[in-house]
Amino acid sequence: MASNTSTSTTASSPLKAAALMEQMKLHLATDAGKALLKKIGLVYQLNIAPKKIGFNEEIYVVDLKKGEVTKGPYEGGKPDAAFSFKDDDFIKISSGKMNPQIAFMRGAMKIKGSMSAANKFTPDIFPKPSKM
Amino acid sequence: MAMRELVSGGAACAEPGSSSSNPLGALANALIGSSSKTQERLQEVPTSTNRVSNGNIYEGGLEPALHGSEFDHPPHASSQGSVFLQGFRSSGQDAFANAWDEIQNPQMPLFQGRNNLIPPDQIQFQPHDGPPQRVLSNFLHSFVNSGHGGLPFHPTPLPALGLSKGEKQRIRDRSSIMARHLFADKNEDFVNAQVNALLSSLDIDTDVQARVTPPGRSQEMENVWNDSQSMQNGPRDADGWIAEYDQHRVQKGDPNVWAQSFEQLHGANGWASEFENEQSQIASFGQVRGASVPSLAAMEQTRVLAHTLAQNPDPKFKSSKFLQFVSKMSRGEITFEDNQVKSSGLPAPGDWATEYQQQFNGGQSWVDQFEREELFRGSAGWVNEFTTAREQQGPVDDQWVNEFSKLHVQDWADEFGRQVGEGILGDDSWADTYDEYLNEQTIVKQQSVTSKGVYVFSKLNPYVGHPNPFQEGQELFREGLLSEAVLALEAEVLKNPDNSEGWRFLGLAHAENDDDQQAIAAMMRAHEADPTNLEVLLALGVSHTNELEQAAALKYLYSWLRHHPKYGTVSSPELSDSLHHADVARYFSDAAKISPEDADLHAVLGVLYNLSREYDDAAESFVTALKLRPYDYSLWNKLGATQANSAQAADAILAYQHALDLKPNYVRAWANMGISYANQGMYEDSIRYYVRALAMNPKADNAWQYLRISLSCASRTDMMEACDSRNLEVLQKEFPL
Repeated sequence: MASNTSTSTTASSPLKAAALMEQMKLHLATDAGKALLKKIGLVYQLNIAPKKIGFNEEIYVVDLKKGEVTKGPYEGGKPDAAFSFKDDDFIKISSGKMNPQIAFMRGAMKIKGSMSAANKFTPDIFPKPSKM
Repeated sequence: MAMRELVSGGAACAEPGSSSSNPLGALANALIGSSSKTQERLQEVPTSTNRVSNGNIYEGGLEPALHGSEFDHPPHASSQGSVFLQGFRSSGQDAFANAWDEIQNPQMPLFQGRNNLIPPDQIQFQPHDGPPQRVLSNFLHSFVNSGHGGLPFHPTPLPALGLSKGEKQRIRDRSSIMARHLFADKNEDFVNAQVNALLSSLDIDTDVQARVTPPGRSQEMENVWNDSQSMQNGPRDADGWIAEYDQHRVQKGDPNVWAQSFEQLHGANGWASEFENEQSQIASFGQVRGASVPSLAAMEQTRVLAHTLAQNPDPKFKSSKFLQFVSKMSRGEITFEDNQVKSSGLPAPGDWATEYQQQFNGGQSWVDQFEREELFRGSAGWVNEFTTAREQQGPVDDQWVNEFSKLHVQDWADEFGRQVGEGILGDDSWADTYDEYLNEQTIVKQQSVTSKGVYVFSKLNPYVGHPNPFQEGQELFREGLLSEAVLALEAEVLKNPDNSEGWRFLGLAHAENDDDQQAIAAMMRAHEADPTNLEVLLALGVSHTNELEQAAALKYLYSWLRHHPKYGTVSSPELSDSLHHADVARYFSDAAKISPEDADLHAVLGVLYNLSREYDDAAESFVTALKLRPYDYSLWNKLGATQANSAQAADAILAYQHALDLKPNYVRAWANMGISYANQGMYEDSIRYYVRALAMNPKADNAWQYLRISLSCASRTDMMEACDSRNLEVLQKEFPL
C-alpha cells in the first residue's frame, strides 16, 4: 500500500486525546460512525488541556452532524455543547472509567451550552483503542 | 551518659540530627515494645507492597504486645505478641544473668584484633533482677550496642528459655530484619552473623527450615512472613562473615566510623529524621492504607536498593549523590511520575504527611464542600450565584448564563433524570452516582498511584516458597495460564529481585493479560536489571504506545535501535532528549535497508508507525514481519490492533482470530475482539468477548469498563448489577461464546 504519511493535524500533538480524535475521525467514516450521526446529530467542541483546565488547550470539534473531526474552535456557529477537561480526564471519560456526571460534579469537566446536548456526551460515542 | 539512656530514652523524642541512638532504641523497643511509633515502624519494616492490609493482622496481633510498658500488658490468648512475651515471662531469671556475665567478660573464640573495638565495659545494661523480659531486653540491648560499637556479638549459650518454636521464629525474623536496618551500611554477612549470634544465644534455629508454620498461625500470615523473608534474602552461613569481617576490621577501628558513615550515608538528615519521615509517612499511611500501598512498595524497593548499594564500604560511595537520591526515594521524598522525578519538596516530614493527607482527602473535603453548597437540596443558590456573576462575565458567558438561569432548575433535574433513566449514563439516581463517585475516588487513586510505574504484588501468593518459581512461571506462561504465571513469576522476583528475565516474563504475562500498567511496572524493573535487553525495550515501547505515552514510547523504541548490535551505528551517537519521530523513523528505515529479513526490525517499525498513526505503513510492516514469522501470535495481535485503530474492524477481527488460534488464552486478543465488535456497534457480540476475556483475567479493568458500556448500549441494564459487582458467574452464564 502506498505510504500514507500522516496528514492529520493531530500527528504532532503531545496530547493523548489527539490519538482518540484521530481514531474518531476514521470511525465516523464507517457504518457505525454514520449511525452515530443519526443518533446524536450534534456538534461538540472539546477544549482539552494537558495539565490544567483552561491552560494550553487544544480545541477539537467533533461534528456529529456532518461527521467530521477538526482541530480548532468551531467556525460554523455555536457548538451545541462545549466541554473543557484535562487530557487524562478526557481519556477516562471516553473509556468509561469516569462517569461524565461525576466528572461534572467534581469539576473535572466543565460544560457550556445545552444541557441536553451535554447529556448525550457519553462514552459509547467514542471508539475504543485496541492494544498491541 | 549511659548508653542505656541513649538506647531507651532516645527513641521517644526523635530530634533531627540527633545521634544514631534511635535505631538502637527502635530495635530494643520493637522487640520488647513500648512506643506506638516504633510499632508503626515495625509494621513498615517487614512488609513490601500491599501487605498493609495484612498488616492489619499484624496490628491486631502486635498491638497488645507493643502498647504500654514492657511489664504490663493485657494477655490476649490469640495474639502473637503476647505469646511472644509470655515466653519471656516464663523463662528463669538466672538464665539471663548468665548471659550477661558472658557478655561482660567476652570470650574471643573467633576473632582477633578485638582490641581495637569498644571495650566491653562501655556497654551498660540493667541489673539482673526484675522480670525476665527486662533481662532479655538487656540482652537485646547489648546486641544492639554491639552493633553500634562495631563490637561483634558472639554466641552465648543460654539455658532453655522456654520459647516456643513460633516465638523463636518471630524473634528470628524480627531481629534479622531490624538488624538489617540497623546495620544498613554493613556487610550482609556481618549482619547475618550478628543475628546468628543473637539467635544461637537464644537457641533459635537459624536455618531456613524455621519457615515451617508454627501452630496457630494463619496461612495468610505465613505467606506474609515468607514474603518478607524472601524480600530480605534469608540468613546465610556465618562462615563468609569471618572473612568479610577481617576485611572490614580495619575500617571499624574507630567505633565512631559507623556513626560517621551513617551520617555520610544520610547526609545532614541523619537517621533520626529518616526515622521521623518514615513515621510520619506511616502515620498518614495508616489512614490511607489502600491508596498508599504502592508508594510503600516504591519506598520498600528503593530501600532494598539503597541497602544493596550501601553495602559498598567505600565512604565516598556512601556520600555519593546517587545513594542519597536513592535514599530519598526510599524515604518517599522523591517519587517517579510518568518517568519524571518529582520531588515532594517538603522541608519537614510533618508537612509531607499533611499534604499527602490533603491530597488524598481532597475528595472527602470536596464532598463536604459539595454538601455545604447544597447542590443536592436545590440548585437555587447555584443559579443565583451565576446570575449575580453575570455582570462580571463577558458577552459569550452572558448568553450561557442566561440560558442556564432561564432553565428552571427542576426542568434541568428532570431532564437529567430522564436521560439517566434511559440508561445512557447508567441506571443511577443522584444518590447512587454520588456513591459511585466516592467509590471511584478509591479506584482512581489506586490507578493513579499504580500508573507511577510501581509494581503491585498480589496479596495471597501460593507460589511463594516454591523451590523454583521461575521455571514454574515460564511453564505456566507457555501453557497459557497467564494469571497463574503472574503469581509464580512474582514469587520469583520476590526471591531474586535482580532477575531481569523474571521481571521480563512478568511484564510479558501482564501485557498478554491486558494490563499495561503492571506490564510497564514489571518491564521497568527488568530494564533496571538489564538495560540493554532488546525485548524489554520493545515491550516498553509497545506498552507506552498503548497507553498513548508518546514521548516515552519513542524513547524506548529508539533505545531498541541504539542497543541493537547490528543497527546501533545507524543512529546518531548523541542521545538527544528531544527525539523527533521523523528522525527515528528515518533511522529505522535505514536499518531496514541493511537487513530486510529481520522480522524484529519490522515489528518495531510497525509499533513506531502506530505511534505516529501512520496506520497503513504500520500494517505493512507487520505484514512483512508476519511473512517472516507467521506463527508469532503477538505479531498477529499487533496487526489486528493496527487495523482496528484505523477503523478496519473486519480485518482486525481476522487478525485477532489468527492470534487466538495460536494462543487460545491470549486475554488481550479476546479483549481486542470485544473492542472491535463494539466499535462496529455490534454490542451483543462484544459483550460475549469481553466476558470471555474477563473470565480469564478478572483483573482486566479496561475490559470491565468496556463491558459496562456495551451492556448499556445493548440495553441490558438487567446485567448491569452483575457487571458492577464483577459477578463473572452470572455474566458467563448469560453471555456464553
